[in-house]
Amino acid sequence: MLSIEGLCAGYASISALQGVSIRVAAGQFVAIVGPNGAGKTTLFKAISGIVTPSAGAITFEGTDLLAVPPSRRPHLGIAHVPEGRQVFASLSVMENLQMGAVTAAGRRDWRQNIERIFTWLPALADCRDQLAGTLSGGQQQMLAIARGLASSPRLLMLDEPSMGLAPAMADFIFERLIDIRRQSGLTVLLVEQRVAEALESADHGYVLEAGRVVLAGNNESLRADDRVRQAYLGM
Amino acid sequence: MTRLADRPAVPVLVFAILFAVVSLFISNSYYQLMMTLVLVWAVLGLSWNLLSGYTGLISFGHAAFFGIGAYTTALGQIYFDITPWLLIPIGALFGGLSGLLIGFPTLRLQGHYFALAMLAYPLAILYVFEWLGFQEVTLPIKRVAPFAYMQFSDGRVYTLVALAFLVGTALLTQYIEGSRFGQALRAIKQNAAAAEAAGINTFAWKLKAITLSGAIASGIGAFYAVVLLVVTPQSVFGMLVSAQALTVAMFGGIGTVWGPIIGAAILIPLAEVLQAQLGARLPGIQGVIFGIAIIAMVLIAPEGLFWAARDGLRKRRVLAPVRGTDPVRPGPATLQAGAGARAVVAGEVILDVRAVSRSFAGLQAVRAVSFQLQRGAILGIIGPNGAGKTTLFNLLNGFLRPDSGTILLEGRDMTGCKPHVLCAAGVGRTFQVMRPFLRMSIADNVIVGAYVRARTDAQARSLAAAAIERVGLTAIAHRVAAELTTKELRLMELARALASQPKILLLDETLAGLGVPEADEVVAVIRRLAAEGVTVVIIEHTMQSMVRLVDRFVVLDHGAVLVEGVPESITQDPRVIEAYLGRKWLHHAQH
Repeated sequence: MLSIEGLCAGYASISALQGVSIRVAAGQFVAIVGPNGAGKTTLFKAISGIVTPSAGAITFEGTDLLAVPPSRRPHLGIAHVPEGRQVFASLSVMENLQMGAVTAAGRRDWRQNIERIFTWLPALADCRDQLAGTLSGGQQQMLAIARGLASSPRLLMLDEPSMGLAPAMADFIFERLIDIRRQSGLTVLLVEQRVAEALESADHGYVLEAGRVVLAGNNESLRADDRVRQAYLGM
Repeated sequence: MTRLADRPAVPVLVFAILFAVVSLFISNSYYQLMMTLVLVWAVLGLSWNLLSGYTGLISFGHAAFFGIGAYTTALGQIYFDITPWLLIPIGALFGGLSGLLIGFPTLRLQGHYFALAMLAYPLAILYVFEWLGFQEVTLPIKRVAPFAYMQFSDGRVYTLVALAFLVGTALLTQYIEGSRFGQALRAIKQNAAAAEAAGINTFAWKLKAITLSGAIASGIGAFYAVVLLVVTPQSVFGMLVSAQALTVAMFGGIGTVWGPIIGAAILIPLAEVLQAQLGARLPGIQGVIFGIAIIAMVLIAPEGLFWAARDGLRKRRVLAPVRGTDPVRPGPATLQAGAGARAVVAGEVILDVRAVSRSFAGLQAVRAVSFQLQRGAILGIIGPNGAGKTTLFNLLNGFLRPDSGTILLEGRDMTGCKPHVLCAAGVGRTFQVMRPFLRMSIADNVIVGAYVRARTDAQARSLAAAAIERVGLTAIAHRVAAELTTKELRLMELARALASQPKILLLDETLAGLGVPEADEVVAVIRRLAAEGVTVVIIEHTMQSMVRLVDRFVVLDHGAVLVEGVPESITQDPRVIEAYLGRKWLHHAQH
């Protein structure tokens, strides 16, 4: 579904990605883990078009993504849930969801999407008229995910959904993600600092270090890998 | 580069000598006047830069000061027959006073509200002067003692006087840039709240900046009147004057002494030449060119020519050497040294929080929270998102006043004190969202925190160096913040808080966004600080690190203390598991 080949990108004099290749098959849950500054967020920004790569190719369902302007990419079925939530603080929960549903597919499936979102995340239904800025961190994260879902995506990209959340809330978000993915068949690409939880939820993982893929494999093999256990799981 | 940085006056003096030599060879009086005007607008740009460039408070109203100076010379000479040699300093004095008067109410405003309010002053004064009947004031020509009245037959003398003015202003600006004054202003630009928490009285520094800036703008305005001999409200209080100050600084580069000089040296001759060549056929072409120059600049190099050029040079230099490998790796051994080596002074209470409450528009964010903190202890504050943890920190460091309750620091009642007062009393803090000065080195970033303790700049530098040493960043202290990793930035923030030599450190999510090994390194540093006698209060969600770090936990839920105790009992407490840790916690903890 998504194929990235030899991607290079950077800011000013710093190259954040140095030839990264990643494949995501339809329906897969793929996690990208790695330390800070490894280039995980830059990779996401390249996919959604906020950063222009200097070399390499990104193909989404056979379309050359780099030829598509960033504002058109959500319409292809790619939803990016950014790091730090970034909800529209002065809009209500419902209005935030409407902002997510600006794609043709999102408008078409609006009723059905809202119904499903509120079954998956009932907390949002309870505060649907509240301003997003007044929500707690956990609720805001749920809203950010829901806004992504409201666009009727086929690929959901999540950047550090657990950041700044209480342990119980982070666990809850991961559980919800697994459920949502199981019930909807969505393809999910996740960037996470909480390596243990990320590898637990995903079927496939990539370890990114200093802008390069240093390790890839299915969830079993990565969790059993000595380097991963030492460097990321603290065992 | 380093030598130049140590002697910043040298390039300014070299520039002045070159400028003087060039101007001495210009005999055409029109071109000579242009040379003078370049310097006049450069000085006005510098005065604007001193306030707006460093603090980030954009002034659209510098014409107010400029005009006050110009009218001081004109009216002073007409009505009191005082020489401009005296009137220029008097004008500067008036400018300083008006800076103080304007600043006192206006500096309470933030961002674009400040900019808009500043716009009003010159407009209002313009009409006052028209109403007073000073539509066009001409300075009397002195044939008897022209020199005593600053009336030179040779235009080159005006240029030299203006040059002296420029050198003085530039050197003063550079001196300020390197002093605690400049550091304070830049800290305000970056993050006024953090600056206040670092012990900087932001209002007082801003007031100083606008006073000084007003004095310089008035001084050069007073000189401008002597050069042109005619003063009208439009020519000195008009919108174009304020715009000119802003334009030359923005074009050349904001927040540097070179910006306004470069901007004036390029834009003023350009506009004049165009005016002379095309003005007859295309009146107003000058303004069009200015507008286009600014638009182009904002699009291509939004921070101005100086920074664009510097970044270009820097990039070329950075590409050559390889970026150094990570120098900070206090191995796992340091981790073990923690708790045992630390001497918690039993019984000595450094912070006593008694029934502190605070609500926002009906929402009780913090309700009757009480706890005691012993010197040298590490206290962890945990709780669900929205439990009131950050609000509690804001109450402890003075960002917020409690509605009720008392906060005693070493037995003294500090309830409701301002952040810079609490900082001076020994409360340091870091922030959840980091806003470092990206262009500045670690050393320069940290020094901001040191001024609350240091009497001299040298002392501040040594305090900052000591703080950097304590967090283990000495080897990379020269690197600019933009090149650092998240972990290094966290350690730098820690050093900034440490530079004020706090007794208590409030750390807000210092480990957020760090992986396990990186978090371990920061934990090791915090433990070392506690071992040295600093009392630490930390908010953090990374529980694996927290249980190994803290002596005690205070658990907040819905703004109130749910339970308090040692890590072993807290992590077993069913109420804490229910509200915060989650059922999966026990499963994770077994790893």
